[in-house]
Amino acid sequence: MAGLVTTFGAGAMTNSIGEIRDADFLFVIGSNTSEAHPIIAMEMKRAVRRGATLVVADPRAIWMTTIAAKHLQLRPGTDVWLLNALAHVIVTEGLMDQRFIDEHTDGFDAVARTLAAYPPEEAERVTGVPAEDIRWVARRYARTERAGIYYTLGITEHSHGTDNVYCLSNLVLMTGHLGTPSAGMNPLRGQNNVQGANDAGASPVFFPGYQRVDDDEVRRKYEHAWGTSLPSEPGLNLNVMMKRVGRQIRGLFVMGEDIVISEPNVLRLEQALNENEFLIVQDAFATTTMQFADVVLPAAVFAEKEGVFTNSERRVQRVRKAVEPPGHARPDWRILIDLARTCGADWRYAEPADIYDELARHAPRFAGIAHARIDQEVHDGMTGIQWPCGDASDPGTKFLHEGGILRGKGLFQPVEYRPSQELPDETYGLVLSTGRTLYHYNAATQTRRERGLVAKQPEAFVEIHPRDAQRRGVSDGDLVEIQTRRGSIRTRAILSRQVRLGCIWTPLHFAEARANVLTNDVGDPITDTAEYKVCAAEVIRVAEGSETELFPGSYYRA
Amino acid sequence: MTEDHRITLQGESIAVSPGETILDAAARAGVEIPTLCHDPRLEPAGACRTCLVEIDGWRRLAPACATVAHPGMIVTTENARIDRHRRSLLALYATDHPADRAASEMGAPDQLLAMTERYDAPTDWGTMPPCREGRPDDRNPYIHYEPDTCILCARCTRYCAEVEGVSAITLAGRGSQTTISTVDRLSLLDTTCELCGGCVDVCPTGAMTEKLPLVREQKPERELEKIRTTCNYCGVGCQLDLNVDPEANDGRGAVVKVTSPEPGTTTNDGNLCVKGRFAYDFIDHPDRLTVPLIRGADGALHEASWDDALEAAARGLLGVKARHGPDALGFVSSSRCTVEENYLVQKLARAVFGTNNVHQCAAT
Ligand code: SF4
Ligand code: SF4
Ligand code: FES
Repeated sequence: MAGLVTTFGAGAMTNSIGEIRDADFLFVIGSNTSEAHPIIAMEMKRAVRRGATLVVADPRAIWMTTIAAKHLQLRPGTDVWLLNALAHVIVTEGLMDQRFIDEHTDGFDAVARTLAAYPPEEAERVTGVPAEDIRWVARRYARTERAGIYYTLGITEHSHGTDNVYCLSNLVLMTGHLGTPSAGMNPLRGQNNVQGANDAGASPVFFPGYQRVDDDEVRRKYEHAWGTSLPSEPGLNLNVMMKRVGRQIRGLFVMGEDIVISEPNVLRLEQALNENEFLIVQDAFATTTMQFADVVLPAAVFAEKEGVFTNSERRVQRVRKAVEPPGHARPDWRILIDLARTCGADWRYAEPADIYDELARHAPRFAGIAHARIDQEVHDGMTGIQWPCGDASDPGTKFLHEGGILRGKGLFQPVEYRPSQELPDETYGLVLSTGRTLYHYNAATQTRRERGLVAKQPEAFVEIHPRDAQRRGVSDGDLVEIQTRRGSIRTRAILSRQVRLGCIWTPLHFAEARANVLTNDVGDPITDTAEYKVCAAEVIRVAEGSETELFPGSYYRA
Repeated sequence: MTEDHRITLQGESIAVSPGETILDAAARAGVEIPTLCHDPRLEPAGACRTCLVEIDGWRRLAPACATVAHPGMIVTTENARIDRHRRSLLALYATDHPADRAASEMGAPDQLLAMTERYDAPTDWGTMPPCREGRPDDRNPYIHYEPDTCILCARCTRYCAEVEGVSAITLAGRGSQTTISTVDRLSLLDTTCELCGGCVDVCPTGAMTEKLPLVREQKPERELEKIRTTCNYCGVGCQLDLNVDPEANDGRGAVVKVTSPEPGTTTNDGNLCVKGRFAYDFIDHPDRLTVPLIRGADGALHEASWDDALEAAARGLLGVKARHGPDALGFVSSSRCTVEENYLVQKLARAVFGTNNVHQCAAT
C-alpha cells in the first residue's frame, strides 16, 4: 500500500480486471491466483489460451505454474534479489523505455547504480532461479507492450514487503509499462473491501482519499467539516498497536476481526490482552477474541445491510440488503452511529447513502460517486464506478496514469537486499510460509461453517517436501508438530510436490492449529506489515494421523 | 468496421467485425436468435442446432453461433423453413426430457421447456426411456446432476475445461448412453473439481443443479427474489444475485441460493468461485451473535439491552481516554465491512476520541 502511494501516487491496481484477458505478458509474483483470486485466474487462463506468456515467480509450484511459460521457483524471501536481477538485465541490455524515464520519472540513475551489484549469475546463487531464466523473463517483459505485473500478500507480507513493491515499481517505470491498457502494476486485494477500507481512511496516516493527517490544509478542512479539532500526529498502525496492547494501548475497539487468530505471534498478544483495560468486540460471530471482551456488540453480515465495497480495481459497487439480521443484531454502521451518539457526538445519518455522500464531499478522488449513480449507471457495459471520479458526469477511470503519472513523476526507489529476519539454523531447519487456500477464508469464521468447504478441507495441514518428510520419518497424513521460536501447533502432514525442498507451508485459517502462534511479528520498517511469509521452523512426527480424509482430490499431493 | 464489412440480416444491412459470428452480429443489431449450447465465454460448439439460420446460396441451414459472418452474406433468421426445423428439433429434445415443469425445474429454470412453449413445438412425439447414467451417490455437497433432464449440449463440460480449466467433468459413454461424468465416476469431491458451480450456472435445462436447495426442500429458483450485491469474500468484487425466499425464517428471509449475473455485464463475467457461489451457511448459523453482551462482576459475559451495552461501551472508551489520554485507545476497523462503516470508525477515532490510532485489519 504505502509502497505504491510513494512511487506512483495511488495504492491500487493501475488497471482493470477486464484488461487481463488482452494482456500479452503476465508476470505473477507472490500470488497463488487460482486459489486466492479464482476469477482473476480465469481471466489469466483466458489470456494464456489466447497466446499470452505467463511467468509465475513463487517458491511453491502452485497450479498457475502448470500453464506458465516459466516458473521462477525462488527461495522464500529472496524476491528483492530476483527483481533487482531482472532490472539489472533490462538496464545492462538497454531495454529501458528511455523516453518514458526522461519524461515521467525521477531517480533512475540512483537505481541503475544499485542494480550494478545484482547480476543474474549471482542471483542464481541466492535465489535458486537459473540466470538464463532471469534473462529470458527480463527481455520478454521489457519488449512486450501489454505486459502487466500482478502480486498479492506473497509480496507484501515480509519484513521487506515495501522493498518488494519498490522493486516492482522500478521495473514498471523503467519499461514504461504504465498508463496503457493491460499493463501496469496490480496488487490483488485479499479481502472484499481492503481497498475500500483504505480509501475510507481506516489508516493511521490518511484521512479518506489518501489525504495525510499531518497535512495542515487537509486537517483544517476536516476540522471544519467535523466541527472539532483533530490530532496532527500519525497514529499507530495495526502491527505496532497490537505490540503495544496492555502498555501504551489500554482500550481497544475491534470491529469484524478475530485478532487472536489473524495477528502474528498471537500468544504474546493474548497475554497483552489480559493487561488491557477495556475491549469492545463488534462482530457477527462468536470469536476467539471475545473471551477477552468487556462488551460484545452483535453485528449484521453483508447480506443484511446496505453500503458499498470497493474491489481491487478501484470499482465502487453496491452491497444490498436481502434478509433481516437475526435476533437483535444490527448493521455495523447503525451501531457506530449509536455509539458515537452515546459518547456525546451529534451524528445524523439516515442511511448509508448519506454517509457515502459525506465521504465523497471531502475526498476529491471519490467526489463524483454516489449510491444513486451506482444503482442507475452502466459504463463500458459494466456496473460500478471506478475511482478517480471527479464529478457527477465523470464515468470513472479504467486504468490509472493515462497521459501522466498521478503524483506528477513516478519515483524510482533504489533497494538493497536484506535477508529475511529469521533464517533456518540447526534447531529450526525449515522455512515456514503461511497463506490462504481456495476453500477457506481468513479466520474461517464463515467458511468453516460451510459443509462443502469443510468436506474438501476439514482440517489444517502442513505441506512438506517428500524428502524433508522422509528425513523426519513423516508419512502422508501423519500428525506432526510444527515448532518455531514463538510456539508450536499440531496439524497433519501432506507430502506435497508443490513446496521446495527445505520449505513448509501451512494455511492460516484454522483456530485449532493457529498458524499465527508460529509467525514472526517483526514488521516491515515502513508499513509494519508482519512477516507472515518467512520464519524458521522444525517439524516433528507425533503419531499416525486420524482416519478422516485430508483434502480429497488435492492437486498438490506428491 | 469498414463499409465492405456488412451483411444483410432479415433484409437489413448491418456492419460486422472481422471474424465475428452471425450470432454476435445479430445480437449487436438487436435481432434475437434462440440458443441453447452457446455461451459467450466458450468456443462455439454448434452442438444443439437451435440457432440455425438460412444463408443465401447455402444448401443447409447453418448454426449462427458457429458460423463467421462473411461480408456480403444474406442471412435469414426467421422464415417457415427455419421455424419448421426448429419446432421438430425442439420436439425431438422434448421426447428425451421431462415434460412436467415441476419435475424439470426442481432447481434452475429450464430454458428448453420455455423455448418449446414459445415456439409452440409439438410435445406429443412420445417419450424415450431414460438411458443416461447419473451419479446419484456422488458425495459432493453442492452439485447434483439429473441425467433425464440433460440434453448433452456440453456447455458444462466445455465451461469446466475452457473457463475453469480443470476438466473435472466430461462427456462419457457412447451413443444414446452418452452422459456427463467424471473419471471412473468418482465423486466431484475426489476429482480436480474446484466446486465453482459454473457447470450449474451454464446448464440451459437445469440438469446440473444445486443440491442443497433440493435436499432442504426449499423453493425452486423461479419463486425466489433476486437481490444483486457484491461478494463478501475476496477483493475481486464479483457481482452476484442472492436468491431469497422472503417468507422463510419467520419472515426474516433466507438466502436459498446464489446465481451469477449475465456474462459480460460485470467484472466477473458471469463466473463465481466456490465461496462466492456456495458458502452462505454462515448467514443463518447458530453461532451468530444475536444479543449484546456485557462482562459482569462474575467475569462472565451476560446478555444485555442495546442501551445498556452502548452505555457500557461508551463509558469504557471514555474512561480509558480520561485516564491515559486519547492515544491509549486503538480502533481496529475491518476490510470485511462496508466503505461507509470504515469511514465511521475512522471518524469515531479521530473526531470523537481524538486519536489517529485507527487501522483496518488487512492493510494489504
Ligand atoms: S463445479 Fe466447476 S470445476 Fe467442478 S465440475 Fe462444475 S465447472 Fe467443473
Ligand atoms: S465469487 Fe469468488 S472470486 Fe468472486 S469475489 Fe467471491 S470469492 Fe472472490
Ligand atoms: S446455440 Fe448454436 S448450435 Fe447450440
